Amino acid sequence: MKILVIEDEIALLDSILEYFKGEGIICEQARDFHTAVDKVALYHYDCILLDLGLPGGEGLDVLRQLKALKKQDGVLIISARHALDDKLAGLDLGADDYLVKPFHLSELKARVSAIIRRKNFSGNHVIAFQEIDVHVSAMTVLVNQRPVALTRKEFDLLVYFLSNKDKVVSKMAIAEHLWGDEMDLSDQFDFIYTHVKNLRKKLVEAGSTDYLRSVYGIGYKFGTP
Amino acid sequence: MRLSTSYNRVNFLTSTLTLVITGISYYLFIHSMFTDRIDRDLAVEENEIRQYTAAYRKLPLPATFLDQQVAYRTIRPGDPDRVFTYTKFYNVKMARMEPGRSLLTTVKLGDSIYQVTITKSRVEAEDLVRNILLITLAVSVVLLLVLLLINRFFFNRLWRPFYSMLTKIKSFQISSTEALQKEPTQIDEFIELHASVHAMAERVRKDYRELKNFTDNASHEMMTPLAVINLKLDSLLQTGSLSAQQAVLIEDIYLATGKLSRLHQSLLLLSKIENNLISDIQNINLSELVHLKLRQFEELLEKNELKFEYSIVDCQVQLSRFLADILLNNLISNAIRHNLKGGEIKLKLNQDTFSISNTGREMDGNSRLFDRFSKSADSEGMGLGLAISKQICNLYGFQLNYHFADDQHHFSVHFKTASENEQD
Repeated sequence: MKILVIEDEIALLDSILEYFKGEGIICEQARDFHTAVDKVALYHYDCILLDLGLPGGEGLDVLRQLKALKKQDGVLIISARHALDDKLAGLDLGADDYLVKPFHLSELKARVSAIIRRKNFSGNHVIAFQEIDVHVSAMTVLVNQRPVALTRKEFDLLVYFLSNKDKVVSKMAIAEHLWGDEMDLSDQFDFIYTHVKNLRKKLVEAGSTDYLRSVYGIGYKFGTP
Repeated sequence: MRLSTSYNRVNFLTSTLTLVITGISYYLFIHSMFTDRIDRDLAVEENEIRQYTAAYRKLPLPATFLDQQVAYRTIRPGDPDRVFTYTKFYNVKMARMEPGRSLLTTVKLGDSIYQVTITKSRVEAEDLVRNILLITLAVSVVLLLVLLLINRFFFNRLWRPFYSMLTKIKSFQISSTEALQKEPTQIDEFIELHASVHAMAERVRKDYRELKNFTDNASHEMMTPLAVINLKLDSLLQTGSLSAQQAVLIEDIYLATGKLSRLHQSLLLLSKIENNLISDIQNINLSELVHLKLRQFEELLEKNELKFEYSIVDCQVQLSRFLADILLNNLISNAIRHNLKGGEIKLKLNQDTFSISNTGREMDGNSRLFDRFSKSADSEGMGLGLAISKQICNLYGFQLNYHFADDQHHFSVHFKTASENEQD
């Protein structure tokens, strides 16, 4: 799987590359407009992370070039501009998703995974992890081929954890993922605790190994113990 | 009052006054001129009588002509020496009384003095004066009418460029780029007005564009460092060798970063709403959106053991989806956050009003409720939520009202603007 990160801020770029590497993901980078245009034209990527403010050109123009070449690469726009016009323009031009800075790495990974799933498997993809199979479009979860009934939020949570396998996901990131960034209520952490507890209980009762671990009280990690 | 009405009023008043004064002085002048002429004729007649009396030593015969009568009598004490008076004149031929002018004078014949009365008819002179007066009046009326017509038609045409420019200024859109169209006119003042308005519009638009760019850039420049902090914290979590104490510190930095980014976004949002930079107005099904919000806040309601009642009917409102979302978020989360444990919330949505009320402690400083950064002492928020809600309502001409009654805070949003209410 190949990903291109187009981002001029080196501090952001490093963190993103570091987080994405592994699991057979090859990450490439472009730090200015011309490199980005060249790479987009030459290679195929499963997903392109595109920052809108670039030295040497407008980020949306990279997207225009990509579409002019009739390429099917998935595109996730990352922008500090919360301008609605930009968002709509980006989505109109054929971007798959739009993420506003500041964001969490886990959120970025989840969005990228979703785009790749949609592009490569037309959504009919099964996320398999050990004895757990998640049918994303049908919204069903099987443990050892037996269905487990999860609530909407528990399901979202599981998909989120599976997109960030073996990574520590902070409670803040989970809260923003489940409730959006407009809610700034610290009691959300209690809900997260409840949802995680229920999810874990349901999976274990269905015969799965307990893959969820709380990390230092500020986050969770889902992965092989 | 319209300019033409006001101008017409003054114009009409002064014209009428001038014409009336002119008419009166004209009448008086002509009248005195004719009287002078008759008096001169009377004096000539008097002179003839004196000469006749002096030459023939007797009075001429008292004669009655068509336009002149002469009468004599001996003088009585108290009679004036010589005087002109307005009298009546009996027209024998027409057998009617006419206005006349008499000269009473005395003539000396031997030892006796006679009083002579010479009377002339003034009827012709009066007729003449009356005719002249009528013609003057007629001309005045015509003049006034012409003035009115000129004002009505010419004036309106003259001012047409002004009114059409006014319409254009009223419909001026700061965000549109099309220039104000020029009005065909020869009037220097209007050409100058157009040039000034045009220059002003361009200046305003330029400032607006600069402000918009500034807002965008400020957002961009501040969000990137925030994103770096957030991502570095995420990366720090992955290092896997943290103590519990460090974890607490990291959590605090996370929360502060989150708060800072929300604060920044709120401020940018406020400035965007104030500058009308949000333009995705569409027909929003508010009832659907409210249901969605209720699901979103479900857990929070349960957690605070709040009793929740609602009645929702279908409701369509024109506004930005983004802002509709924020408005509902703010009002509902406000009602939850400032509630008492085990309190209640009542939500109602009908065709033109959204209202939400919640139990809570009464607070002072209600007038500052919608001000930025005004919040109660125990509030965890930033004090921007209601300010933003107010701005959103202002933008669309909605009315956001608040009152406290029966230990409950009541907020309501009336979607219909004042002008729409009048139409109903």
